[in-house]
Amino acid sequence: MTLALELQGIVKSFPGVVALDGVSLAVERGSIHALIGENGAGKSTLIKIVTGVHRANSGTIKIDDRVVHFASPRDASREGIGVVHQERNLIPRFSVAENIVLDRIAAKTFAPIDYAEIYSLGKQWLQPLELDLDVRRPVSSLTTAQAQMVEIARALSLQSRVLVLDEPTASLTSHETEALFRVLRQLRDQGVAIILVSHKLEEIESLCDSVTVLRDGRNATASGPLRGYDRAALVRAMVGRDFALEQVGRGGFAAAASSESPALELDGVATSLGHSGINLSVGRGEIVGLYGLVGAGRTELAKSIIGLHAIVEGELRVNGQPVRIRDVNTALHRYSIGYVSEDRKAEGVILMHSVLANAGITIWAKLRGALRLLADSRIGKSVDPLLRQLDVKAASRNTAVRNLSGGNQQKVSIAKWLAAGVEILIVDEPSVGVDIRTKAYLHQLIMNLADQGTAILLISSDLPEMVALADRILLMKDFRLVGELVNDKDYAKVSADIMSRIQVVDTVTQRR
Amino acid sequence: MRQEWLGLAVIAVLGFIIMASLRPAFLTPFNLFVLLSTFALAALIALGQMITLAVGQLNLSLGSIGGLVAVSFAGMMDVWHWSAAPSFVAGLALGALAGALNGILIAQFQLSAFIVTLATLAMFKGLNLALTKAQPFYDIDKIVSTFGNASLIGPIPAVLIPTVIATAVVAYILYRLPAGRQILAVGGNSSASELSGISIKRAIVTAHVMSGVLAGLAGMVAVARLQLGQPTIGEDWLISSFAAPVIGGVALTGGHVSIVGTLLAVVIVALITQGLVLFTIDPFYVQLVLGGLILLAVGLNSLRSLLPVGYSLP
Repeated sequence: MTLALELQGIVKSFPGVVALDGVSLAVERGSIHALIGENGAGKSTLIKIVTGVHRANSGTIKIDDRVVHFASPRDASREGIGVVHQERNLIPRFSVAENIVLDRIAAKTFAPIDYAEIYSLGKQWLQPLELDLDVRRPVSSLTTAQAQMVEIARALSLQSRVLVLDEPTASLTSHETEALFRVLRQLRDQGVAIILVSHKLEEIESLCDSVTVLRDGRNATASGPLRGYDRAALVRAMVGRDFALEQVGRGGFAAAASSESPALELDGVATSLGHSGINLSVGRGEIVGLYGLVGAGRTELAKSIIGLHAIVEGELRVNGQPVRIRDVNTALHRYSIGYVSEDRKAEGVILMHSVLANAGITIWAKLRGALRLLADSRIGKSVDPLLRQLDVKAASRNTAVRNLSGGNQQKVSIAKWLAAGVEILIVDEPSVGVDIRTKAYLHQLIMNLADQGTAILLISSDLPEMVALADRILLMKDFRLVGELVNDKDYAKVSADIMSRIQVVDTVTQRR
Repeated sequence: MRQEWLGLAVIAVLGFIIMASLRPAFLTPFNLFVLLSTFALAALIALGQMITLAVGQLNLSLGSIGGLVAVSFAGMMDVWHWSAAPSFVAGLALGALAGALNGILIAQFQLSAFIVTLATLAMFKGLNLALTKAQPFYDIDKIVSTFGNASLIGPIPAVLIPTVIATAVVAYILYRLPAGRQILAVGGNSSASELSGISIKRAIVTAHVMSGVLAGLAGMVAVARLQLGQPTIGEDWLISSFAAPVIGGVALTGGHVSIVGTLLAVVIVALITQGLVLFTIDPFYVQLVLGGLILLAVGLNSLRSLLPVGYSLP
């Protein structure tokens, strides 16, 4: 077997941090290679070196046994390395087709653009993805999943010999995931070397041929066949010690009296965004799951509850009292409702600000001292115990959140609501892009909060997560609730039940 | 897809009809000639700002470049006795140079466009005043002064020619040439553009050079219309340069322009200005109205962007 891509002794340091310390990676032609590791293990940095975004301090990159040097992303794509980054990298107002062939447009200056050619090329590269899309549509009108498929089509259009996918399934439905995997297998059979970065071990087991595990910027395992590793062994390599995959159970919250009214109740609610007839209730100490496909209207409902969109019909009740919430300020300070956004970079944290400023932002009003001044020490006193409790890993609490790993950013995003001591917490996709250890940690945290009496509305597209956490699961489709089931934690049964109820055309085939 | 400028077209046509029916003087050839001449100049100014908005920036020095090119253009003819053609070419080159200075300072040293163009606004203006001692250049080439007052047919002024050509060139570059698509791509998502191999620096410099050339062209058209190289040319361009693109639906965050929308907005602004004159309202209210229009347009845009993807205002 020939190596399509070989990295040897890659070292990369940033001011103050050694991100990669002598990492090696070998990917064979015609194989799908898993690159795994916890957040902060160095996967993203390694990907950025392979794709020419960063330059290594030392070490060699070989393609087909030839040493190459990348000074820019374009150098890498010229050498046949295609990449789909974790963040969407599309030009919102441009058409689907133009985004797919953007690299061609980048390579020229004056040659006039032939749109007919661009549209036909766009169609050609979308076809294998079985995505029925008008290539003239602007990508700003697409769902996240569709946008991601467009990026995959773009990588395909470069006829890459090495294709790097960073967390490609984070926002895909099971149908879309299957379609993607089918394409990846085809590409593999055509001799393309594929590097897949993923946190989902089930996916890796079903798809990948070989694996490299990174830990703390070094190889935890050398590149080798996936055979011979079971899931526990992979986790051990990633975490560096045995780690209990199974969740610890809940203590359970003793409801004071059964007559107590639910903490949050929606009665026949319709919103300006198109929800209608929404009835739901979340009691103190209860975790209610809101499940549905991407685009079902779950996030939009959450934002309507906290006052970002208007409720046009029906009644919203907090602790039994009808309320009108016009803005987030009212939601937080008067009714003690918090919302952990699914989009932590855009809505969850202020990347340029410190950990302290982010975690304390919800309690500034409460902590104002004499002359309404705000002292860091006062904020620190309230926030530090939480940061410790959540095990936020940062150089100091004055570090900018930008410099934290994804999992730690998510912890900060949750910490600010804990600081505010909210009684009702809406958690939207808490573990997207978070490694398994942090994920388990976040799960435990959510359960502990419920045990302490917080009413939790959990939005997640991750079915195992839903089954692990929720007491009851509500199903949402097309901005309506279409069913409710009590979660008995039996994954096979619950998932079959859910799928039959939301009538997805495909069956759940992710486990093979 | 419904064209986003349709509403503006309706407003422009309605405005035209209302003015024509209430004030018959509006339709006199002379008045139409003045209206179209105003449009010709204002459109160049608006396009000059639109192109920097496209890349996600702004150019506060637009009027200052226009003024500098205007007095240089007139000065070359008055002091150096150059004829019109070489002076015109030199004027365009000066505009391009000024724009390139803006673009290179912003892109190469990663400075904020706001601060850089604020500084160059003062510098270009200072250069203008140093050259002219605040006195106009009067002795310009006859061709230029004739061109400034000439009509093509009936009320259609000759000064529309540079505007039409400039609009066609800008449209061609933005919609058909990779260089223009790169400007819009960088404005739309600069990191995605960079990852696709687009040079962000080059796109920024290109946009500012185009802005400088358009500003210079506008300055020279202003000289032709005024029949002299007035040092104050460009002083009152700033607000209207933003008003038209904003009303026309150009995204202030970059990545999206509407040339038709911008031109229609120029028409609407010109109609309102004329309207105030025809209805003998104090012309000093023009600025008040312009400012209000900008706020209204920004308000409507933000209302639109609050709606989730897939929704549109009824």
